[in-house]
Amino acid sequence: MVNLRILLAALMLFPALSQGSVARAEKIYFQKGISNRNEAVTYELMRSKYYFSATVFAKERLIEDKPIDERFEKSLTTLILKTGTATFMPLSAGILGKHNSQAMSFVLGIKQFNKNRFKSAIKALRSIKRGHKFAPEKYMMMGASQNFLARYSEATSSYKNCMRTAEISSKASSHEKLKRYYDILAESCLIHLARMEYKRNDYKKAVQAFQDIPKTSYRWPSLLLEKAWGNYYLADYNRTLGLLVTYKSPLLRSYFYPEAEVLTALSYYRLCLYDDALKTIEQYHSVYKARSDALKGILVKYKKSHTFFLKMMMQPIEKLEEKNPFIRNLMTQTRKKIKFNLDLANYKKVANEYKYLKKKKQTQFISKLTEAVKRSKDWQTRHLNHYVKKEMFDFLNDVHRFSYEMFNIKLEIMFKKRDLLYKNKTLISDRGRGSRDNLNRAQNEHFYDFRGAFWADELGDYSFGLKSNCEEVKVKKNGGGV
Amino acid sequence: MKISFMIVSLFFLILAARAETPKKSSGGKGNIVYKYKKYETFDLGNLEVKGDIIAPGDLSVQERQRTKMERGLLERKDFDEEVRKDIKNLR
Repeated sequence: MVNLRILLAALMLFPALSQGSVARAEKIYFQKGISNRNEAVTYELMRSKYYFSATVFAKERLIEDKPIDERFEKSLTTLILKTGTATFMPLSAGILGKHNSQAMSFVLGIKQFNKNRFKSAIKALRSIKRGHKFAPEKYMMMGASQNFLARYSEATSSYKNCMRTAEISSKASSHEKLKRYYDILAESCLIHLARMEYKRNDYKKAVQAFQDIPKTSYRWPSLLLEKAWGNYYLADYNRTLGLLVTYKSPLLRSYFYPEAEVLTALSYYRLCLYDDALKTIEQYHSVYKARSDALKGILVKYKKSHTFFLKMMMQPIEKLEEKNPFIRNLMTQTRKKIKFNLDLANYKKVANEYKYLKKKKQTQFISKLTEAVKRSKDWQTRHLNHYVKKEMFDFLNDVHRFSYEMFNIKLEIMFKKRDLLYKNKTLISDRGRGSRDNLNRAQNEHFYDFRGAFWADELGDYSFGLKSNCEEVKVKKNGGGV
Repeated sequence: MKISFMIVSLFFLILAARAETPKKSSGGKGNIVYKYKKYETFDLGNLEVKGDIIAPGDLSVQERQRTKMERGLLERKDFDEEVRKDIKNLR
């Protein structure tokens, strides 16, 4: 309660406290004969916590040719932490790279990576030192770039460095959210390592690496699908089915992936359990058609809006309950994403700063700041709205794409059935059911019987025990197999 | 008026009389009458076709393997797109 009062008092005092520094910044801005005007204004605005306003002058300073000092370098790092890398993204590669700044090299690295210029990204990132705040991200991006350039041993080393530096940063952070951010980074690098092994067709190593991600991890539910693919290529279809059935548990009801349904049907198909595969395909069409229609209704109606989806995401959960349960779950899934949370935090900060600037007397200096911050706020709004809309569009496209894949499986099953008929053969048993004899289990894998209920500690450790039904036998005269 | 009506009527009467007169052929033999054979018989048994028999004596079909239609079922080669997304998720 006391903390809350202090917080409220601080919030109320915020404009008053910052008034002094903003006024000082304005004074410096109009002062004649000052050599480091942009730098000085940046410091003053940062002192009053007007970070988005400060970036306007920091960017102007970066355009200048004069080399930057250590103090300004530190300020640039702070500004990235407070406003995000997107604020500096509009600067050209030439400007970002000219001052030998580690903070700007980080922005340049992201910029080059997003443009698929992996060699340039590595070159830019190399200048960031191991002890820097952005070191874990540096190693993660370097690992990804080296992975895409097929320099696998270098990528492995970068990913390992990423895990080590992220763990150190996590231990050093006092703030809970920051600690979680670094933990997620460390896990992400381990996941990237697993994905790299998968790409190199070493599925065993990939599955082992996925096994090392703790169940408490924020990213664990979405990884079940990737782990299931690894097991599928190891021909362990029972484990694949067991991993995918986890998504049916009430705890994971907000996670639904059309791809998981296709992989389930494929696994049944590989076990020659055609009826089970056909049933999965049928369920897919009945379940996802309704979801796709509900989503289409919203997307078509508001697809041109720049704010609708963001407003919808910011509604309290009770309000969302009124909507289609599937849409609510999809929004919950988006809300849990790191990117969304980081961008949302930046959006709130920029909206707050804009609110305070608008209240001020609109002098020439304040007008310049208000306009710049308004542009940032508008961009953040559109960006976030687009992010949510894209998530929904992606889901809709996935439903259609995987519907086509399901159709292919159905055709293949029909072909197999026709082939058996022509050969006057049938499969050994119409319904090969479960047994522990059909179970493959590694030392670090568990097995639980499924008794009609999901238990939190068992999630992700289920395996089916289905026998392959692929043996063909001659058809008896009375219609059955020999 | 009466006179012109009578002239026109006379003209049409002459025309009608000419139309009813039967035409004569250029040879002047009158109407042509076509006659067809009342019966015509073909004795198929006595027909003889000259030539060589080139069809095979016994029918045979060369055995071949049934064509297997390979449909490209879903494959997951990599998770590169997810790696890209992770990088975009950085602050």
